[in-house]
Amino acid sequence: MKFSANGYYIESYQKCPNCGVLMYANSEEDRKKRVEHEDKTYCSQRCVDWSIAREKRRASAAG
Amino acid sequence: MDFVTMNILDSAMVSICREMGITLMKTSYSTIFNEALDFTCGLADMNGDMIAVADFCPAQIGGMPLLVQSCLKEIPISDIHEGDIILHNDPYRGGLHTPEHTFFKPIFVEGEIMGFAVAIGHIAEVGGMAPGGFCGEATEIFQEGVRIPPVKIVKRGEDNVEVWKLLLANVRTPRVNYGDLKALIAAVDLGEKQMQGIFAKYGKAKVKETVADLLLYSEKRMRAELEMIPDGIYSFDDYVESDGVESDKNHLIHVDVHKNGGSIVMDYHGTSPQAIGPINATLGVATSAAYNAVLHMTDPTIPRNSGCFRPIEVMAEPGSLLNVDFPAPSVGGNTETHPRIVGTILGAMSKALPDRVMAAEGGTHCNFVFGGVDADTKEYFACYDLEAVGWGGRSFADGNSAVDSINGNCRITPVEVYETRFPWLIESLALDTDSGGAGKHRGGLGYSKQMLCVNDVITCSQMTDRHLLAPWGLEGGKEGGCGATLVMKDGEDTWKTMREAYGKASTSRFNNVAIRRGDRVLLRMPGGGGYGDPAERDPDAVLSDLKDGYISKEAAKKYYGYKEA
Repeated sequence: MKFSANGYYIESYQKCPNCGVLMYANSEEDRKKRVEHEDKTYCSQRCVDWSIAREKRRASAAG
Repeated sequence: MDFVTMNILDSAMVSICREMGITLMKTSYSTIFNEALDFTCGLADMNGDMIAVADFCPAQIGGMPLLVQSCLKEIPISDIHEGDIILHNDPYRGGLHTPEHTFFKPIFVEGEIMGFAVAIGHIAEVGGMAPGGFCGEATEIFQEGVRIPPVKIVKRGEDNVEVWKLLLANVRTPRVNYGDLKALIAAVDLGEKQMQGIFAKYGKAKVKETVADLLLYSEKRMRAELEMIPDGIYSFDDYVESDGVESDKNHLIHVDVHKNGGSIVMDYHGTSPQAIGPINATLGVATSAAYNAVLHMTDPTIPRNSGCFRPIEVMAEPGSLLNVDFPAPSVGGNTETHPRIVGTILGAMSKALPDRVMAAEGGTHCNFVFGGVDADTKEYFACYDLEAVGWGGRSFADGNSAVDSINGNCRITPVEVYETRFPWLIESLALDTDSGGAGKHRGGLGYSKQMLCVNDVITCSQMTDRHLLAPWGLEGGKEGGCGATLVMKDGEDTWKTMREAYGKASTSRFNNVAIRRGDRVLLRMPGGGGYGDPAERDPDAVLSDLKDGYISKEAAKKYYGYKEA
């Protein structure tokens, strides 16, 4: 989530595409855990791994 | 672990939460607090983890940690001072929906923050498009009332007057809202004072250490419960009917429950995209519903705090029905979609835990909201009318009749109070025969309330569910009865739905219908689904139901093989 420069309002919301948690732009703690994967920003490596595993599982079930 | 001190401290803190609730109940102005008890009081540590709560609303209990922690991400601990009280209701920042207002007050001991006293309450009138806070046809958040980012409503013990003025200028009932907000503040004031007493008695170090042990204990107990469930992936689908804007379109809730050892993950990916109308749920709601479902399936003696939530994870795709993106509306998510999420999880777990789940319950709070000008006092009134439903049959017992939906734990406002406070005459309030789904164990009954308008005009809105999609049964049990909202205009003699009478897109979600003097409204609440094959029901139970009027002779013959002597 990104605040305006004056901090009075929110400019944009960013959420982890896997777990959906809101990611705060000004949180050092959040930033350390973030992972980029296939042009998306995830909150953690766990969410990247879970996302990949889910896709594999669904592809296997569909196949 | 010092189990003795831990149990004493846990009991003391739960008692404090109960006292906070009693204070709120007795000093509030609105029936939603002093009759329906739609609030939760708890205690949190300085990280925002919930350390104690009493038997309040599961929706708010599960939502509390994320609510407080979201605020702490915006207001650093260093900026929080003794005597401050922070207020927040923003659905997109850890909130549940606009009516749910969270207050939290820091507990300072010798100049150090040791935790927070928290009170969450459903404010009945929040501005926006519809009096009573539930705009059934909302298409964006701005129609759903005043959205409050984390702000200090009290600063170092003094009212932050500019915030008060801004809030009260944007609601229809400022006098009542002021009273209710003050009641919530009184609750956290009491919580702060009582906890300071606890710290004075035991010392900061001992309390801190014992609370950490308490959370760890709860976590271990929950993990041990989860270990007993067979590992696997359990899936289920359920649907939410309509969104108030696009009629005749159902919205899918899908869950894959991943149970692995002492952990459980609710993966909601595969759920429908977010709706145009206000049935969307926030991540706070999706998380709270997951906690609610697990608490219902596990040992009820496990102390309720963030420790017992640690083994539970939630995955809700952004922009889906269960993790709404700005600026889509979400007022119905916390009351209507939350119980459907819980039902979906219970449905998924029915194979693994047949003795710890139930068939679908009615899954709605009715949310019949209204407002108008009182003919005698000329003051604007507004009300959020909360009703109850039948619960689902279980493997060992019938469902309970007329109980608030699974995320509420609230009470119905007594008829006498309702008639005193609002210009309605309640002509009847009775359980509905045959509304409980047939089964070896029958679903609980819903009921109907018929009301006559005795004011010149009352503006009514509603955000309810289960008019079209009946509560499902389990293991051969039959569906429960659907709900309905009907109107009979003065001088007419037929009941009509809101769609028939006013051209609304949905019968269960609508805004701002003018009900005039002499018009009647009928609210029918859904029953619960049945569990098990009706042919296996105890014949004595069938006879008892017949005698009490819970089932008709026709239903007894059709489902239970009843033969008249």
